[in-house]
Amino acid sequence: MSGDHNILEKGFKNVPANGRATGFQLAVKTGYYRGVYANLIEGFEVTVDGTTFQRNQIRLTIGGHTYALDKLADLKHVRWQWLEPAILTVHTPGGLTPGLHDVRVTELLRISYMPVQPSVYSFRRRLTLVK
Amino acid sequence: MAKNQCKRGVTLYSYQEEYYTGAMTLEDCVAEVASMGAEGVEVIAEEMVPNYPDPPESWVKQWHGLMAKYHTKPACLDTFVDLSQGGHRNMTLPEAVETLATQFKLAKRMGFPAVRPSLGRDQLDPIAIVEKALPEAERTNVKIALELHAPTSLTSKGKGSRMQYIDRYMELLSKTKATHFGFTPDMGIFARRLPRVMLNYYLRHGAHEKTVQYIDTAFQNGANTDEIAAEVAKMNPNGQDQRCAAVASGYGWRGNDPKELQQIMPYIYNIHGKFYEMTEELTEYSIPYEEVVPVLMAGGYDGYINSEYEGQRWTQDATETDSCEEIRRHHVMLKRILGV
Repeated sequence: MSGDHNILEKGFKNVPANGRATGFQLAVKTGYYRGVYANLIEGFEVTVDGTTFQRNQIRLTIGGHTYALDKLADLKHVRWQWLEPAILTVHTPGGLTPGLHDVRVTELLRISYMPVQPSVYSFRRRLTLVK
Repeated sequence: MAKNQCKRGVTLYSYQEEYYTGAMTLEDCVAEVASMGAEGVEVIAEEMVPNYPDPPESWVKQWHGLMAKYHTKPACLDTFVDLSQGGHRNMTLPEAVETLATQFKLAKRMGFPAVRPSLGRDQLDPIAIVEKALPEAERTNVKIALELHAPTSLTSKGKGSRMQYIDRYMELLSKTKATHFGFTPDMGIFARRLPRVMLNYYLRHGAHEKTVQYIDTAFQNGANTDEIAAEVAKMNPNGQDQRCAAVASGYGWRGNDPKELQQIMPYIYNIHGKFYEMTEELTEYSIPYEEVVPVLMAGGYDGYINSEYEGQRWTQDATETDSCEEIRRHHVMLKRILGV
């Protein structure tokens, strides 16, 4: 899947919606051709305007539940279904300023049959955050 | 000459780009298959089945409705047993067999006579998994059609650290006389040369022309792909040169002879009609379909040849993907060779 469809415009915002932002959110679809059980997700890297956030600043929401990236390994029976937008919540006091941002996301999966580990999918999109 | 019994189909994975963007729905994909006079529909379960592995009954009814409406038939369900569990621990043998049992159940619900399970990369012995899963396969009457995917050598002649062989599968078949274990040969194993679209991708991204030419020629000569990578390492390679050499080890083995399919003919349950580039002359740039398909015809193969388009990953950075066009060309070629 070509990289420009993977970071969604919808869902790019600061959180919480009202009051002082503690971080921001964005939604991504997988670059892999099938859905996976959540324990195959190695993680996500997020870089906005050149600033790369730490692994422990990022939480992932799939199937209506939110997980720290290090907790994904323990999950059984939790699936990230194909085409389901996964929400990445990045903790950073103040969130992002309204306006245009250069957003890069890297998705890392560990797929059993692949000779090179992990599988890496890189996405990049310039998009506007309103609030 | 015996009447052709090979049937045409498509694995909907071929339409992944359009399905992903929403340009095509599942029904659009099935309609497109039917519009070519093809009958077989193959599906990757974790790609297109909602709430895998347990889709709602209402969706399963819709699925059967589509098959009836378009006169298509479920050909094979493609599944995965993720043995390495994200790199944290390996599945146990009972867990792997349990996973397959779940997949047989889904196949049954959707009317698939066979599954093509991907069994990781030697984290567990695939022979052991298949042997333990056979009773359930027989009980549910769902055939295990293990893929013979590139890089595979049908004899012991092909060499390379990634090369896969079929001798242990043949031993298992001989030992168990299994009625529900066989193969999905992927046509990519007969590639006589590397896909031009793949080589052009690396050139476009900065690989050196001389290095790519070397890789191209060496592959055509049947070289051990480890040796190709070792030679490239001496050619002052950049990252793209190295990646191209590494990727080349995933194709062929160039020395496979289509006649070698005769030894496994009774065990061929499905065929992946792999292709990377259909030329305007309606031939596949790398794979000699006009040699392989007649072997299947002569052998009395009466299953599906399901088109599997996999060129888009090498072209989508440069051009718009039109999967339907690629697959239509594939089917004009198949019809010509099959004489239908």
